[in-house]
Amino acid sequence: MRKEDTVKLISAEGFEFVVDKEAAMVSQTIHNMLTSPGSFAERQHGEVTFPEISTTILEKICQYFYWHLQFASGKETEFPIEPELTLELMMAANYLHT
Amino acid sequence: MGGACSRKPERDYEDSPCRGLSRRFCKSGSLKWWTSSFAYPSVDFHLRKGDCPSLLELCIKKINEDIDRYNTFSMLPRDISQQIFNKLVCSQRLTSVSLEAFRDCALQDLDLGEYAGVNDSWMDVISSQGSSLLSVDLSGSEVTDFGLSYLKYCENLLSLNLNYCDQISDHGLECISGLSNLTSLSLRRNDSISAQGMSILSGLVNLVKLDLERCPGIHGGLVHIQGLTKLQSLNIKWCNCITDSDMKPLSELVCLESLEISCSKVTNFGISFLKGLQKLSLLNLEGCLVTAACLDSLADLPLLSNLNLNRCNITDDGCEKFSRLENLKVLNLGFNDITDACLAHLKAVLTKLESLNLDSCRIGDEGLINLAGHRQLKCLVLSDTEVGDTGLHHLSGLSGLEKINLSFTVVSDSGLRKLCGLTSLKSLNLDAHQITDAGLAALTSLTGLTDLDLFGARITDYGTNYLRKFKNLRSLEICGGGLTDAGVKNIRALSCLMCLNLSQNCNLTDKSLESISGLTRLISLNVSNSRITNSGLQHLRTLKNLRSLTLESCKVTAYDIKKLRSTHLPNLVSFRPE
Repeated sequence: MRKEDTVKLISAEGFEFVVDKEAAMVSQTIHNMLTSPGSFAERQHGEVTFPEISTTILEKICQYFYWHLQFASGKETEFPIEPELTLELMMAANYLHT
Repeated sequence: MGGACSRKPERDYEDSPCRGLSRRFCKSGSLKWWTSSFAYPSVDFHLRKGDCPSLLELCIKKINEDIDRYNTFSMLPRDISQQIFNKLVCSQRLTSVSLEAFRDCALQDLDLGEYAGVNDSWMDVISSQGSSLLSVDLSGSEVTDFGLSYLKYCENLLSLNLNYCDQISDHGLECISGLSNLTSLSLRRNDSISAQGMSILSGLVNLVKLDLERCPGIHGGLVHIQGLTKLQSLNIKWCNCITDSDMKPLSELVCLESLEISCSKVTNFGISFLKGLQKLSLLNLEGCLVTAACLDSLADLPLLSNLNLNRCNITDDGCEKFSRLENLKVLNLGFNDITDACLAHLKAVLTKLESLNLDSCRIGDEGLINLAGHRQLKCLVLSDTEVGDTGLHHLSGLSGLEKINLSFTVVSDSGLRKLCGLTSLKSLNLDAHQITDAGLAALTSLTGLTDLDLFGARITDYGTNYLRKFKNLRSLEICGGGLTDAGVKNIRALSCLMCLNLSQNCNLTDKSLESISGLTRLISLNVSNSRITNSGLQHLRTLKNLRSLTLESCKVTAYDIKKLRSTHLPNLVSFRPE
């Protein structure tokens, strides 16, 4: 995996998730950060920090990114969501336009 | 529905259901009405392959499934809790208990129209939305005057719908008299509201739309709304207490664009008060006691474009006055005692007309000469007239025609050839006994058809071969009795079908259901009076969008339909036998 094809997503607690750019860009918000012209720090360093999103939630979101790619390629499985995560996950999904 | 009577009245556009998950539509009982109109309800189809649900949608779905786990959503941003609320309403999972989780959520729209179980106990949570609340629909609920008092503090409310709320009276109206930001208020079918009760409406100075349809006690009360000069739309249809004296206060409503006073006691004299309404564009006088003499007053309305004179006392006498209504686009003259002579007088009006209804008038072939060449005409209703094949000849050049109703006319198979060039046609009603397979064969060039009504026509299996040309059909009725399972096989290819009526074809068996099991867009299906049995129901499992299923006089029980609904057809809201 080449470094420029990945992006580092950092949770509120500082936990780092390295994911494919393609996957991360499922989020419209991240997509905009990484592609918009101008010198967004995110674009230059290939990492985005989310001070509002906890590690557990960010992990779930990364799982969703890959699930979305699978779904788009025709593999339609169920995406599991633990009931106790739903509310927090929703707020993050809303922020990330996911 | 039962019997084999197929005569369908044309419907107003506004009466056709237009909401996503229209519960109203199931209450109306009959789906035949809306199949005959242009508009279709937008149905939220199940996600098609390839449409990936967003994470937000997945979360909302999850919450919807186990709503009982949640005590409050007040920490969520408003737009998210609004989406959760809408989803619960849509799937009918919201109860007075789960509603509690939405306390203080600053929701803006509470669309609970026709929702089961809504009563005063819901009002506390509803009012807790406070100044955020913009629109509330409580139509068909058991909410009383007391419940309504909770809305007092929702001072930013713009729209309030209290249609069919039997327990709301004058006292309830007093409670909302301070909601002066209201722009839309609807109180349809309320027996309790009196002329005196209407006095509180005078304070609702921002009202743009007021709906008092079927309120029988409001005679004398319209004087209280004469100061509502922002009013653009007033509906007092079927208030049979309304008389000429009630028209006088309306003369002050200078912004009025739409006025509906059908089925009242208003006469030509009452209409004379409307002369000054310079912005009026829609006037519905259906069933009023008016004659062509009222056209003198209407000629002073420069913007009048939509006029409904259905079931009035219009005769040929005075019809020349129609020529002064220069801006008419939609004219309904159905069920009046007018003849071809009247159509000749309409000549000047006809050049702009887009829709003309002559249902059950004494119109014949001669009269249709006056319609020839009017390419702007989109909709023409000639049902129950004396029009025959010669008349169709005059229509053959109406290239803009999108909808034509020829039911119960004397047109025959050979006359239908004249229609084959009308390629803009979307809706065609040929509900007439003398029409057969040969007539259908002449129409195969009309590939844009979306609605085809052959209810009483004598179509056989052979004729269904021609149906395959109509790939865009969304609604189809063939109920003449001549179809067997072999014919239904040809319907299988019509994958856009949403409404299918094959009732009265008594030879159809379970095999027919098997043939149509791939028509997954079907919302309504009727195969009454056939040899369908309980074991045939299994073929319907794939029809996930089905909302109405009618299998009267078949070997099918309500029990088995209910079983099918609970396991495979979650959207089924109306079924027979029940």
